[in-house]
Amino acid sequence: MLFLLAVVVYPMGYAIGLSLQYYRVGGFAGLHNFAFAFQDRLLGASVRATLLYVLIAVGVEVLLGLGLAVAVHRTIRSAAGRTLAYLLFIVPMVTPPVAAGVIFRLMYIPEYGILNVLLHALGYQGRPILWMSSPSMAMFSVISVDVWQWMPFVFLVLFAGLQAVPLDVVEAAAVDGAGGWARFREIDLPYLRPLLLLVVTFRVTDALRVFDHVQVLTMGGPGAATEFLSLYLYKIAFKFSNLNYASALALYVVIVVSIVFAVVNRYLSEEMA
Amino acid sequence: MAGRSGAGRLLVLIALGALGVAYLFPFAWMLSTSLKPTPELYTQPPTFWPVHPSLDAYQTALIGARHWVLLRNSLGACLATVVLALILALMIAYPLTRLGVPAWFRRGLLSWLLSLRFLPSMVVVIPIFATVRTVGLYDRLTALVLIYTAFSLPFAVWMLKGFLAEVPQEVEEAALVDGAGRWRAFFQILLPMLSPGLLAAAVITFALSWSEFLYALILTATPRSQTFSIAVWSFVTEFEIIWNQMAAVGVISALVPVGLLLLARRYVISALTFGAVREKA
Repeated sequence: MLFLLAVVVYPMGYAIGLSLQYYRVGGFAGLHNFAFAFQDRLLGASVRATLLYVLIAVGVEVLLGLGLAVAVHRTIRSAAGRTLAYLLFIVPMVTPPVAAGVIFRLMYIPEYGILNVLLHALGYQGRPILWMSSPSMAMFSVISVDVWQWMPFVFLVLFAGLQAVPLDVVEAAAVDGAGGWARFREIDLPYLRPLLLLVVTFRVTDALRVFDHVQVLTMGGPGAATEFLSLYLYKIAFKFSNLNYASALALYVVIVVSIVFAVVNRYLSEEMA
Repeated sequence: MAGRSGAGRLLVLIALGALGVAYLFPFAWMLSTSLKPTPELYTQPPTFWPVHPSLDAYQTALIGARHWVLLRNSLGACLATVVLALILALMIAYPLTRLGVPAWFRRGLLSWLLSLRFLPSMVVVIPIFATVRTVGLYDRLTALVLIYTAFSLPFAVWMLKGFLAEVPQEVEEAALVDGAGRWRAFFQILLPMLSPGLLAAAVITFALSWSEFLYALILTATPRSQTFSIAVWSFVTEFEIIWNQMAAVGVISALVPVGLLLLARRYVISALTFGAVREKA
């Protein structure tokens, strides 16, 4: 316990101390660093990029994962088939994000990457797509890695949740003439609600701090199109060595995450109880 | 399923199969690239099955570029982390479940641990960086081991707590009645029964520390302490990227956790999904 305290709590205090001092010259700065954040245009852009990333990535993951969970649940009955599905989709989850970045970099090479070659073979005639060096495509590429890695998490949890739906309820609904969609909306979805919330919480908090595969894939570029909060913080702290301002920004993040966590925690314990 | 036509089911199955292939393809492509000799990287159209498969890329990357040193660092750091984290996690989880700790304390502690899981590492990385530099552990593996241990602890405690709860308390009480001391009951009775849980926690701790990148990037500077994640990354930042070598280190980096997962999948899947999935394999 003391150990955890030393590694987690002490640094927090240290960060607060740092954030209250001026960069380079030192000395007590009050809330200068915190106030500066509001004038920082690059920070604004970074926050917007991060929110866009989280929104799209988590949205796609949840929809795809939910669809996949229902599809597998309804069509694959054999234990062997289900184990295969587990293994197939869990592999990306345990792949180190750095390696995932490498995988997708290989596929996204404009001149001889497999993706453009495939597109060409399918009849695409235009110029090669610049997956990593045009701003909107870079965002797409970075998101696709996230979806590839983490959609399975959504799938696995929701699929497990579906197993808990009592069969007699399903059968009763079938007798009453409920179709596939009605069954999903009226029975499956209510059962999955607490799990959905859990999954979204995990994915949002994780996506907010995305760093590894972006650093490998685009390094925040082109320009600052994929310079998410964590990459921006990294740049300020370790490229520009402004630990004071970076600490202030980090503390903003703590505040936001804590609020989200508190709200979700309360709601979750109500749902689970 | 009643009311679902065979054709519809077949269509869904085909779609599932296609998705499965799409999911594995990126992996296969990396593997294939890593086995190509350099000239074959640039052939048009690219070949999926390497015409002249070779392990040259692995050899150049590991031995030529001396990245085996980083591989060794990573293995060492991860093993040390696993040992340290498991000992500490047991020291926390055992009293929580076995000694009469007040419920409010137990619940508070556990949810505090869980909240650490949500803490963005970006937030603590700056003060940790400053601290590590002050105490003179910058560019030392020791620093990474301590940090990885701290961040895998919440997970390990939660897992072990779950496994401990499954071992009936009566077993230990019986041992105590038979005259064994608390220590003997712990080491000779409880620990063997707990071994699947320990194995699962070990695998996950290892895989998580193996994949870690941010702290390794910030707290290390030389091959003395850099980990394999850094090796993977270093290929990306070079001016001219050597694709087959980059793919080779990518394969090695992915193979370790995937292999571990396949070894211990029964427990690991359940742990990765926070107990939501209980596979009966």
